[in-house]
Order: sequence, then C-alpha cells, then structure tokens
Amino acid sequence: MSVRCCLAKAAPLCALVLLLFVPGPAQAVELRIQSDTIVRGFERDPGTGTDEAVIPGYEYLQADVGSLSEAGLSFHFYGWGRADLADNGFYSDTTAGEILYGYLQYRDSATGLQARLGRQYLFAGVSNEAVDGLSLAADLGPLFFLSLYGGQPVGLDSTGGRDGDSIYGGRLAVHVADWGDVGFSYKNIDNDSDTAEQMAGIDLSLYLPGGISLFGNSVRNLETDGWAEHSWELQYDMGAWRLRPLVSMFEYSDYFGTGANAVNPFRFLAASGEKITVYGADLTRRGEVWTLGGKVRAYSYDQAGDNAYYAVLASWHGEEDTELGGELGFMDGDTDRQGYGQARLYAYVGGLRGRCWVDFVSGDLVYYWYDQSIYGEDASFFVSFGTGRTFLDGALQLKVSGDYSSDPYFDDDVRGLFTLTYAYDHGQ
Amino acid sequence: MLKRIPVSPVLVLVVLAGLLAACASLGGGLELPVSHPSAADLGEKPVSCTNCHDSADGPIRFERFVHGPYWGESHRQAAYQQDRVCAMCHQTSFCNDCHATRVELKPSLKDQTGTRRRMPHRGDYLSRHRIDGRVDPTSCFRCHGNPKAARTCAPCHG
Repeated sequence: MSVRCCLAKAAPLCALVLLLFVPGPAQAVELRIQSDTIVRGFERDPGTGTDEAVIPGYEYLQADVGSLSEAGLSFHFYGWGRADLADNGFYSDTTAGEILYGYLQYRDSATGLQARLGRQYLFAGVSNEAVDGLSLAADLGPLFFLSLYGGQPVGLDSTGGRDGDSIYGGRLAVHVADWGDVGFSYKNIDNDSDTAEQMAGIDLSLYLPGGISLFGNSVRNLETDGWAEHSWELQYDMGAWRLRPLVSMFEYSDYFGTGANAVNPFRFLAASGEKITVYGADLTRRGEVWTLGGKVRAYSYDQAGDNAYYAVLASWHGEEDTELGGELGFMDGDTDRQGYGQARLYAYVGGLRGRCWVDFVSGDLVYYWYDQSIYGEDASFFVSFGTGRTFLDGALQLKVSGDYSSDPYFDDDVRGLFTLTYAYDHGQ
Repeated sequence: MLKRIPVSPVLVLVVLAGLLAACASLGGGLELPVSHPSAADLGEKPVSCTNCHDSADGPIRFERFVHGPYWGESHRQAAYQQDRVCAMCHQTSFCNDCHATRVELKPSLKDQTGTRRRMPHRGDYLSRHRIDGRVDPTSCFRCHGNPKAARTCAPCHG
C-alpha cells in the first residue's frame, strides 16, 4: 500500500480523532493575516547577452484562524509566490512559489497535547524537516515529553515523485528533576520505497550549580553506521557576561551521506572521507546600553589544512529601538584561498515619527577583503540604506531600501526593494 | 507461511495518538501558555527573558533563551530540545525565513532594513560562501540540505 494511499484513507480518521478531542463549548474564533508584498528591482543578463531590468514581485502570506490565544482548534498557513513583472525569462527555470506550511492544529489545555495535521515544519532532536502528515506532542506525566510524526517528506517531492516516499520519527525527552533533560530522537526517510536516511540522536541539557550549563547532541547515521555529529557546549553565566566554550565533530561520510537527500555539493563531500573538528568559545556581555562580543573558532581537518576565525563586535542601544554597532572578523587559513577579513558597521535609528515623515532609517556598510583574489578582485564593498513608516495604527507598514555592491561577481550592482506589510488581527 | 499485513504509518500514529492522549491526561507536565504576552499587553517591548523571569527558577531555564549577539548561530540546540518555548514568541513562519523547503529571498534581503539582526548572508555572500563552504560545509547543510532547498546551490554546483 503506498503512503499516499494510506494518507488519503487515514485523513478522515485523523480528522475524526481530532474532532473527538475538541471540547464541547465553542471556542472564540480569531483571525490573523499577515501579507508581505515585496518588489525587487535590479539588472541582470537573462540570457540575451545584454543586461535587462529584472523585477520580481513576491507575496508572502500568513493566515491563522481559530483558537489562537488559548488552547483549541486552529488552522495555520504560510506560503509565498513570485511573479516575474519584467517577464524577460530570467526566472524561467525556477519554482515560482511554495506552501511552507498549512496545517490544522489542536491543543488541549488540560493535557498539553498538541496535534497537527497537514504540511508543517518540525524541529525536534535529529529532525529539521518539512512534513506532509500528522504530528503529536505531549507531556507524559511530570517525567516525560514525547513527540511523534509521520507522513511524506516535502523536500523529496521532486525526486521521482511522491509514491513510496515516507518519513516518520519522534523524540522522547526525560526530565531529570531540576537538573535538565535527556532526549532520544529518531527519524527515517524513504524515497521511492528505498531508505534514504535513518538517524538516531541523543541530546542533553544539564543545569549545574554556579551558573554553569552543559548542552549538546550526538547523532548517529544508522544507514552508514557511523557518528555523523557530536556538538557539545558549556555555558557559564556571570551577571551580564556569558562564556560559551564549545566543540563539534563531523564525519562527512556520515553527516552528508543521507541517501536521496544528499544532493550536490553535499553528495560530493560525503564521498571525500573528510572529518572536521571545530572548537572555540564565545564571550559576550549584554548590557542595557552596550553589548560586547568576541568569538574564536579553530577548524581542524583530517585532510585539509587548518583554519581559524576570530571576531569582535560592539553595539550601542538607544531609545526606540535605536542601535549602532560594528563587527570585525578574520578567517585565517593555512592557504590563502581560505582567508578573508570582514568589517561591518550598521545603524538603525527609530522613533523618528513626529520629527520627520518616516519612522526609522537604517543602513549598513560591509567590507570584505580576500587573501586570494576571486575573479581578479581582492575585496567586496556593500552598502545598504532603508527607511519606513507605518499607517493605520501600525497595521500597514511601508519600507523602501536599496543597496550597492561592488564585488568579484558584479562591478557595480544597484538594487532596490519595496516592502508593504499588512497585518489584520480580529478576535481576542 | 505467515502473510505480512501492511500497516500504514499514519494508522500507527493515530493509535499512538490515543495512547498519547491517555498518558497526557496523567498531567503534571510543563504547562506552557499558548503564547507570550505581546508588547501591547506588557506595555513595553520584551527585551531579554531574564529582565522579567527569574533565570533559574521554575520549569523553564530562561537564561538559556536570552538572545545575545551570537544567538543566531547558537540557538540550534535550544530549538531542537525545547521548541515549545520558542513557539511562545515565534511562529514557524519566523523560522522559515531561514529553515524552509524552498525560499528564494535570503533572510538579509527579505528584512533588509533589519540591520540590527546579524544575518549570516548579508552583503556579498556569493563571494564569501566559497570560503565559508570549504571551511565548514555542515552549517550550509542545515538549511540547504535537501533536493528542494539545494536548488539555490544547483545553478553552479549541479
């Protein structure tokens, strides 16, 4: 029996099960809609040999309806579409839109049960997946939390159709008193009836005395029978300061070796036999007025030469979301082709309503310099400027921005962006 | 010879739903509100979790969710372990600006005026990704690691 057939037959049953959970009294129906209409403009060669104006128009639409402020039944949708307003063939080969999610949800306040049916995006343990199917999550008493899902993987619908495609998995978390959680997770993906990916993982959050915490996860690829990833970090909080030492290890054959999921360039990497160990630390201070940060990373490989990255940042916070900041970073490799530096300055000045027509202005300036030139260029320069204003008590927002880039790919690239956001909120 | 009976994964999930509901009715778990009060309800914009919540008291360790300057690069473990906490303030659409089956506008472009947010692809990332991709391709894989999401890579990488 194909999974698609199973889904079609099981959907009414699932709906019935969901309806059985719905409590008797009618829930207040709320409706929230957010529409982002975005129009870009820039110049590119669409294949005619001369630069022409490219003007894509995007619509990002999100709708939430039902019991949104409290437990109950609700429906959620988010997707985008694109129209090629210049219609010169620049976008002839790419998808013009995607439904990112569209699901019916039921939440029960008494039990904490959450059920979702439809297209949804899941983050849990080893799962970072878009799924057409059913997911369930609930606390099982004070000690356990269980989440399960099953259906078809959205990311594989372009590989041989959807017949024989399936995905299922879940995560069981065990609460260890006030100390933290231990999680066990699993996922299996079939593509065209063959196993494409099978992963199992363990994750931990452990809170120790003295402001010290340990977080991490290890992932095993059950198809290649090897450890794909170990990522572990300590966190030490002392007032506004936080120190975060970390270490990660990845085995390329097990991390990128994900069957039908392993498209290029990752399929190529899976066959390289490379291993990488990343270790380093972040040190940050988040204050009311100043935020400071620094990070160090060391990259060590089995085959390639080593790399290191160092960066510092600082930002100043004023009234009305105003923020000014900058960041400086260096990637230092064993070979010149692995090295670059970057500097960024940015500003966001809010609270301008009453003093001028716009609510805010923003901008940033980014400069990269490369140790080895790329297409004969040693550096990139990027600058952006934007502004915006709200109308209708904040329900409508207009933003206009533009940027200029001079880099190895484009000598002088000027682009414009216009965004109109409308938010409708009806209900509680 | 025993005949293998085909079992729908969805049917199994439906049965598990019943079991889950029964077990969940035991209660005593982490009772989180559906959503965090908005800035309008609070009278001010929430800046940091620990401004209001005791960092180490109760079932949620709020200090873990304080969005420091490197939160964009370090939130992964917290989201995989306690996405319910993230969901009180962020709808999945927020996550989908980066993590999605297919989006065309890079996050720093979709919110270009949001210069306060440290977006990984801001500026001339087309050139820099040649180096970052060689140095640590695992970070690319988290958002571009399936055939649909990798269409961004396909024009050059095949």
